[in-house]
Amino acid sequence: MDENVKTAEREVTLERLREIDDDLRLPAVPEQVSYPIETLIPEARTQTPAVGQRASRPDGRLHGLGQTKYIDDLSFPGMIHAKIKRAGISKARVKNIDVSEAEKMPGVMATLVGSEIPVNSFGPSYQDQPVMVNGTVFHAGDPVAAVAATTEQLALDALDKIKIDYEPLEAVYDPIEAMKDNAPQVHEGESNIYSSKVIQKGDVEQGFEASHRIYENTFSTQMVEHVPMEPHASIADWDGNGRVTLHSSLGRITLGRADIARTLNMPINRIRVIATVVGGNFGGKNEITTEPILALLSKKTGRPVKGVYTREDEFMSSTTRHPFIMDYKTGMSKDGKILARKVRLVCDGGAYCSWSETTLGKACILSAGPYNIENLYVEAYAVYTNKTMTGAMRGFGAPQVCFAYESQMDDMAHDLGIDPLDIRRMNAFHEGSASPTGQVLESVVVRDSLEMAAERFGWQDWNK
Amino acid sequence: MKQKGKGIGCMWYPIGFTVAANPSAATVKVNEDGTATLLTGTVETGQGSLTVLGQIAAEELGISTDDVHVVSADTDTTPMDTGAIASRTTYVTGNAIKLAAEKAKEILFEVAAPMLNVKPSQLEAVDRKVQVKGFPQRNLPISEVALQAQFVQGRPPIGSASFNPPTVDMDPETGQGKPFSTYVYATQIAEVEVDDETGQVDVLYMSAAHDCGTAINPMLVEGQIQGGISMGVGFALQEEMLFDEKGVQINPNLTNYIMPTSLDMPEIDVDIVENFDPTGPFGAKGVGEPTAVPTAAAICNAIFDAVGVRVTSLPATAEKVLKLIKEKRANENKQLAPAE
Repeated sequence: MDENVKTAEREVTLERLREIDDDLRLPAVPEQVSYPIETLIPEARTQTPAVGQRASRPDGRLHGLGQTKYIDDLSFPGMIHAKIKRAGISKARVKNIDVSEAEKMPGVMATLVGSEIPVNSFGPSYQDQPVMVNGTVFHAGDPVAAVAATTEQLALDALDKIKIDYEPLEAVYDPIEAMKDNAPQVHEGESNIYSSKVIQKGDVEQGFEASHRIYENTFSTQMVEHVPMEPHASIADWDGNGRVTLHSSLGRITLGRADIARTLNMPINRIRVIATVVGGNFGGKNEITTEPILALLSKKTGRPVKGVYTREDEFMSSTTRHPFIMDYKTGMSKDGKILARKVRLVCDGGAYCSWSETTLGKACILSAGPYNIENLYVEAYAVYTNKTMTGAMRGFGAPQVCFAYESQMDDMAHDLGIDPLDIRRMNAFHEGSASPTGQVLESVVVRDSLEMAAERFGWQDWNK
Repeated sequence: MKQKGKGIGCMWYPIGFTVAANPSAATVKVNEDGTATLLTGTVETGQGSLTVLGQIAAEELGISTDDVHVVSADTDTTPMDTGAIASRTTYVTGNAIKLAAEKAKEILFEVAAPMLNVKPSQLEAVDRKVQVKGFPQRNLPISEVALQAQFVQGRPPIGSASFNPPTVDMDPETGQGKPFSTYVYATQIAEVEVDDETGQVDVLYMSAAHDCGTAINPMLVEGQIQGGISMGVGFALQEEMLFDEKGVQINPNLTNYIMPTSLDMPEIDVDIVENFDPTGPFGAKGVGEPTAVPTAAAICNAIFDAVGVRVTSLPATAEKVLKLIKEKRANENKQLAPAE
């Protein structure tokens, strides 16, 4: 009997302890009187079947409480800070780099220049990108030297003491200019065009001949940044066994590790990449940036080295969305069927290829839109310019071409006196449609999405 | 005066890499109490992928999302993954996880079959139980089976698998081939208000209907769509990296590079188009990137509907829209002139 009472007491005490524990854990969250259904968190997370549940994210609570540990929140004993000197000039030959004044500064532990990188090139398609400038600057955001110091501010101050002599070289910024025969070459070679793609289906000329009307338009889009809330950040720790651990904001650790191994000329199994919860990627953290630099600075100093991009670093040196110039020529029947389409895409590929190859390929395939077009011809070019490099960004060329094909669609609908919704319904892919590459499409619901969005919007009854 | 307009943006988008191999591998371990641990090399980049992947493992094992702990993103401990790119995580990594969970489940079924006097093929995993198909009353808690497997029979229920989407090379001259395993489709319709005296464009409302195959987690699909629209609004109206004549960026900061804030966001209604892709895990495809694709097109078409001007170069800043409105008026006046 007595024993039972004791057990009950213990249970109560434990429960009370848990309550106190919960209170301690969640000091900042005010008690809410009622929750909408979707925030009944434990419900959805503990339900079976699991698929289809509005289960909350385990990291969401930590974000809300400010408890997520991003790279910049991590710290290791003896850790020092690295900063990168940017070229600030878009095309130049580096005549001399003098880091001696910077190295003399108290608190500065080490410097690093491009010639110290074992294999100074990487890239997902072509290895045309140096980790740090080695001889030639290709765009203004190129890293030229790095400093590791005991504080971030000291590292920043030391950057000003680095003296670099540049011999400016002729640059080109406009992709159309860069395609011309006499244009200055961004990289050594015969042409700035570094990738081209073609898609051909049916006979466009015949399609244009059969058309009631032909529409020609040129569209262009701008360069934009991913602007993740958390900038690129890494911490490198080179240990006594010659293994390096990198805590990084990389979104693709397998490829990242391979690139780090390549640039450091090390076996892959001596490199460990640990990613944290990344504070926004959107394609901008798909390749390495400063990881090899930080690793080498750690090797030089025997200390963990942290490197966090400033917002300016983020804009000037990380990848961006490709500006596109898009020529669309579309032939229409009188009743609004697309009979032929010819597309020419030029994408400003920036100083390095990065993911331009893939972006160009996807843009090419998607440029016809989700519409049945029997006669199609698409040609696309990626061109080097001496600008910030362009790379992977949410949509890989699709937002650009969608802007073009959908803008032209409405112009044509307007001209032919057809409702924009009807013209799309009429041309949309259906189950079993053949894509521009001849692929038979399955689970196609373009029309359903049109109907649903229009219904929700109230398209028919909408008044200005 | 403020003029209202409506505009459609419709799109298609592929899942995974263009032809190139983009495999994912995964390991699923069922613990002796019936909970599970999932190992994946993908990285949580804020989109909620780990939750979705946990749900896929849970579904296959007949347990709940909360019963699965996801370990991710460590090259020393987690299996290779092509990563959070190309809207491939739910589809490619998800398929690998489903296959891995299936293998762990096979061990559980082999252990449970003699306990229930049936063949492993007669079993299913539902509601944290291993039960006989058609006879749900003949069942064992998954915890009991897992414990039996690990500590009595010495067969820890662990499964590893990988997946790579099947594709066909594209012909270099005609581009004909099967570059992707599957595609998703979506429509966004925008309602805008254009001030024809300043060129200022406000996006008032956006209706978005997206296909993602089965929505493994509808709440996270909605989150992706809302986030994609905010990115699309910036792309359509505000964001632009500007360079001086020497190729140096002149606005590398958030003071002069204008991002949309919550105040720039329209009211959004999200609809998930019902669909099932037999090649995806439980019919799922993906949703990440497509959400940012049709937004700018929809907004620019709505501007055209509102004030009759066609923006051909993004972003549609107030200056650009006002200039187009003025040009249009000048043209209309010119056309009127001969009639006088």
